[in-house]
Amino acid sequence: MNRPQNNRAWLGVLPVLLIVAFSAVIPLMTVVNYSVQDIFDVNTRLFVGFDWYRETLRDPRFLDALLRQLGFSALVLAIELPLGILVARAIPREGRWVGLILVLLAIPLLIPWNVVGTIWQLFARPDIGLFGQLVNGLGIEFNYTAEPLHAWVTLIMMDVWHWTSLVALLAFSGLTAIPAACYQAAVMDGAGSWQVFRHVELPRLTAVLVIAVLLRLMDSFMIYTEPFVLTGGGPGNSTTFLSQYLTSMAVGQFDLGPAAAFSVLYFLAVLLLCWLFYTSVIASDGERG
Amino acid sequence: MAEIRLEGLTFRYPNASEATLSELTLAVPRGEAHALLGSSGAGKSTLLNLLSGLLPAPPGSIFFDDVDVGRLEPWARKVTQVFQFPVLYEAMTVLENLCFPMRELAAGEQQRRARDVAERLGIHGVLTAKPAALTLVQKQLAAIGKALMRPDVSLVLLDEPLTAAEPGHKWRLRQTLRALQADLGATMIYVTHDQTEALTFADRVSVLHEGRILQTGTPEALVDAPDHEHVGYFVGSPGMNLIDGEVRNGRALIRTGDGGVLELGALPVADGPCRFGFRPEWAVLSQEPEGLPVQVHATRTLGASRGETHGLVVAEHQGTEIFTRQNLAGVVPGPARVRIEPERLVGFRDGWRVGAGPAGQ
Repeated sequence: MNRPQNNRAWLGVLPVLLIVAFSAVIPLMTVVNYSVQDIFDVNTRLFVGFDWYRETLRDPRFLDALLRQLGFSALVLAIELPLGILVARAIPREGRWVGLILVLLAIPLLIPWNVVGTIWQLFARPDIGLFGQLVNGLGIEFNYTAEPLHAWVTLIMMDVWHWTSLVALLAFSGLTAIPAACYQAAVMDGAGSWQVFRHVELPRLTAVLVIAVLLRLMDSFMIYTEPFVLTGGGPGNSTTFLSQYLTSMAVGQFDLGPAAAFSVLYFLAVLLLCWLFYTSVIASDGERG
Repeated sequence: MAEIRLEGLTFRYPNASEATLSELTLAVPRGEAHALLGSSGAGKSTLLNLLSGLLPAPPGSIFFDDVDVGRLEPWARKVTQVFQFPVLYEAMTVLENLCFPMRELAAGEQQRRARDVAERLGIHGVLTAKPAALTLVQKQLAAIGKALMRPDVSLVLLDEPLTAAEPGHKWRLRQTLRALQADLGATMIYVTHDQTEALTFADRVSVLHEGRILQTGTPEALVDAPDHEHVGYFVGSPGMNLIDGEVRNGRALIRTGDGGVLELGALPVADGPCRFGFRPEWAVLSQEPEGLPVQVHATRTLGASRGETHGLVVAEHQGTEIFTRQNLAGVVPGPARVRIEPERLVGFRDGWRVGAGPAGQ
């Protein structure tokens, strides 16, 4: 290890460090700063250590929101992932319609999130909404503003409508990369449709599906706009997720200390989830050799 | 294993104006290693897909042991295929890959067969590994093994299986494949554009050109007596030299530049215009005045042994390129004569060797 040391090289990374500092570290440290102090005004502050964290972790509303959040993410992933793969498998691989299908699929992804919320808010209304009226017509008294279950069903449907395309497009891109010979070989081996999926497609889709799960996991865990527009967190608190509770705390009640502690915990939770998922995938990848 | 017969197989893709394959007739006996040789666009892939069943064939055109398989699915035809690059199930071990085509057998029998073939192919050491951990050659060996696993396999198709292998490995792979083919008595059809692969692998070779089989024969027959100019030209490196002339009283004659007539040799065919073919191996530069007058342009060294340099002489006779393959000692650019082994001369009319041709096939 006799490499020449040249400390001036650090100057080269300085611009990057500055950008990262301004974009990530400094704002984050501000939050950390608030989370360990009780700040009344510029001159009056009190160091409280981990009190805000303890308080947040004992807050039943926080724990409820966290549970709802985990349930929501698990549900949408459980639906969007298989559904997206199913849709991707149904898209023809070539031909004149492929382009059109892909564009149509991408439309939900191009709609601003608050518009998505508004669309579904109208669509699911029991009085004038197409979907709400249809369900009522089937003899079910549907009202997502009054029934927690109905609110959840509507929310999940909205998210599935909004994001399944992303999984489908990712899976489709993965499928198109599979050489035709792999399918031909499977046909000659007498493999059925399920075996083709299980042995030919799925192993070659792993990489894109990891990305899809990661994106959907992070995004659904941080969902804010659509439920805010659709249900406003109600009825009661039944659709209040972490981000919404946090916002009401920080902006509504101006509890900056607890909100800061909450933010840090929230950030760590997302980080932890992604890390857990990623390392488990890497581990199983290594196992597969 | 089965005998494979094509009977007047003609195939046209929907919406295509011309037939991709026309009137193919071929019989491949049980246990033969057969090669289909053709340049790209000759119809090799189409024929391959018709044989495997990926494309349905017209009724009455493809028979496996007298069974018309034209409409049968690949699995029912019991056809397996090795592709240009290794095609394996990535999430399975090599052993699981080998066992997959025989999943109808008892587990013990599967294992026994798989280990036996793996041993012959020299991949028994990697049976528990996933394909991702293998080298390219090992992967292709595993794919070859997989194609040979079905106990009742009727035909093994090989689609340029050595394309992905490095040149140094190709020879060994081909030998392994050939030995295994002989051991198992497998009927194999090896599709390639590479004449070296075709001629060194196969018992017999069919030359496919523009959707037709021009000739089916042993490698020696393709070299010594090509039925068609294209076979003469396509097989051989470089291919057959061709010059236009005329047959009179059983003598092959060409006109020389100064209005004279030169006899190349005897050719016992009817009188008339004729194109004469001779391979570069059958010709040598000489000082004798009765040879074919040429202008030597250059030499290409191909190798050396016992202190002699061998190679190609690139020459020209009245605008036609002429190659000879010989000892290059003393060869210099300039005017020279080429002596052709007279008894090896081949005559072509309308593309076909005189006496061969579609009628004679």
